[in-house]
Amino acid sequence: MTFLDFAWPSFLAPGRLWLLAVPPLLLAAYIFLARRKSKQGMRYTNTGVLQAVVPPQSQWLRHVTVGLALVSLVALALAWARPFGTDKVPRERATIVIVLDVSYSMEAVDVAPSRLAAAKQAAVDFVNQLPASYNVALVSMSGSSSGRVPPVTDHNIIVRAIEALETQPSTDVGQALEQAMAELDQAPAGEDGDPPPGLVVMLSDAAGTTNPDKSPRQAAKEMGDRGVPIYALVFGTDNGYVDIDDVRYPVPPDFSFFSDLAALTGGQAYAADDASRLADACQKVGSEIGYVEVDKEVTATAAGLGLAFAFVAAVGAVMMGARWR
Amino acid sequence: MAQPAFASPAAAVSSVVTEPSGATIPLSRLAPEAALRRLELTIVRRLEGFLQGDHLGLLPGPGSDSSDARVYNPGQDDVRRMDWAVTARTTIPHVRDTVADRELEVWALLDATPSMNWGTGGVTKRDLGIAAIATVGFLSQQMGDRFGGLIMRPAGLRRLPARSGRTALYGLLRSMLAEPIVPDGTKGPMDLPQGVAQMARSQRRRGLRVVVSDFLTPGDAELDPAHAPAWERSLRRLAVRNQVICVETVDRHEIDFPDVGEILIRDPESDFERYVNTSDEAARLRMNAASAAQRERIRIAIRRSGCGHIQLRTDRDWVQDIARFVLAYRRVAGRLHAPPRGVSR
Repeated sequence: MTFLDFAWPSFLAPGRLWLLAVPPLLLAAYIFLARRKSKQGMRYTNTGVLQAVVPPQSQWLRHVTVGLALVSLVALALAWARPFGTDKVPRERATIVIVLDVSYSMEAVDVAPSRLAAAKQAAVDFVNQLPASYNVALVSMSGSSSGRVPPVTDHNIIVRAIEALETQPSTDVGQALEQAMAELDQAPAGEDGDPPPGLVVMLSDAAGTTNPDKSPRQAAKEMGDRGVPIYALVFGTDNGYVDIDDVRYPVPPDFSFFSDLAALTGGQAYAADDASRLADACQKVGSEIGYVEVDKEVTATAAGLGLAFAFVAAVGAVMMGARWR
Repeated sequence: MAQPAFASPAAAVSSVVTEPSGATIPLSRLAPEAALRRLELTIVRRLEGFLQGDHLGLLPGPGSDSSDARVYNPGQDDVRRMDWAVTARTTIPHVRDTVADRELEVWALLDATPSMNWGTGGVTKRDLGIAAIATVGFLSQQMGDRFGGLIMRPAGLRRLPARSGRTALYGLLRSMLAEPIVPDGTKGPMDLPQGVAQMARSQRRRGLRVVVSDFLTPGDAELDPAHAPAWERSLRRLAVRNQVICVETVDRHEIDFPDVGEILIRDPESDFERYVNTSDEAARLRMNAASAAQRERIRIAIRRSGCGHIQLRTDRDWVQDIARFVLAYRRVAGRLHAPPRGVSR
């Protein structure tokens, strides 16, 4: 998030924000008093030598102390107005559809030991780190995609299903996404009657080799309309190849395609060119979907900030007030 | 000697905080006139004037000191002044010629800039300077001697005309004491180099000149004696034809920097304003060393200009200091005030 995206939080008690007018007044008074010339002090005649010999008493401590005290006042005034802000809370429940590419291109060995084995390992690790309350479904993506496991909370079933996957010819992303949506529909409703929010995690290397029945972009758009984000993990290297019937086909990963798909749904695409990067990307996706941003009162945050500034200002005041000798 | 008793010691101490409202010493305490009657300030330079006086003049005239012998001019010269020895040697009649005895004209320049309105020892530096002028005035009260004053304010010089006699001297001192205090931060064209130069320009007749100042240039931090202060050149020019005595007024706390904690220090003359931690022992020692070097530079510059130098302190008895100077001055004045080459004594 850049600075320009920063939005002022809304307040529960905006009427109390008038207190924000006080710190600028105090600052103006401070500047006025500091600039005033007719200050009482000691007259001394030999100041030409004095200013050359005695270093000027640095004023930064004074200014910093006053500044921090005023900033802490601002923070406390904001806290008193009870601001609202976004906060990350762990997601209670979700339905996650893992779409795993099992096309022949996954047999390429540019990712050790092979793309499929690495994808399986990453998917297993990913499932194992999910909270037990999440529903997980598995869809294998190939020329004829099929739902392997409907949404279940028993993650062991998913792990076993992942390990049993075999390669199949060709890839059809659109059909796989449609299948994923069908799996999401099977998710059991929660206690409040609403189905849990759905997420799709795709592990793939490249877009289809056959003409798909349904455009992948169209399917992604439908998913976006339903509010289901796609997190795509695209892996493989540009040098990847597979030998099918003694013919060598190059299978470079197609990152831009998947990042377009993810962007359509409000998700994110990650590229990985070896097993450890893939594991990292899985970790990222896991932490991304493990939390949800909610609006809540952040008075404590603002008050704590104010307290921190006030503490530093108090240290400065003590340092100024103390005669060290 | 112990510190002299003042009318109100607190009057000067308040000058540390704000400018004094008036003189911190009464006229009656400026100098013990009777005690000074037996002292005399040695005058080594030859004088020029209108009147018959007690000091050696520059030009021939009726006087006590023989100068030269010249050929007798019948009908014009007095035969009683015949120089028989020269007449016998040369077989031509000669008369003795004498140098005229002239009166002394003293001019005192008082620095009245704001930095002189300061003092912690019971009297401000300005009033100490007036007391020094009074003492020098009583020391040079021979027959017919005139005493004049110049008060240097930032706006310009104020001239108090030279008159003879102790009544006139008291009048001069009274008007110096009554001179209004210059407020702090007053800016003006006049400073010490200019004041001295103007004194040399306006008072053409040879005589004694007294310059009373603290010899501090505002904002000057130079400590190297080889580097001439701003006022040295004009002082040197003044000393070409005159016998010059510089009275340097110093306060104890200008030499020994005070320990008063962290405080805002303002300069009475410049715009200097700074918070200084005066409790810093190392900084105070540095400051004292620098002040001592600065005073040494002033002493060397005054000596280099061929002027007499008296240093007076606000916490000491100036009469005693000046008396001690006068006694030592008798021996050294002849060499001290030797004129530059090509200028007669």
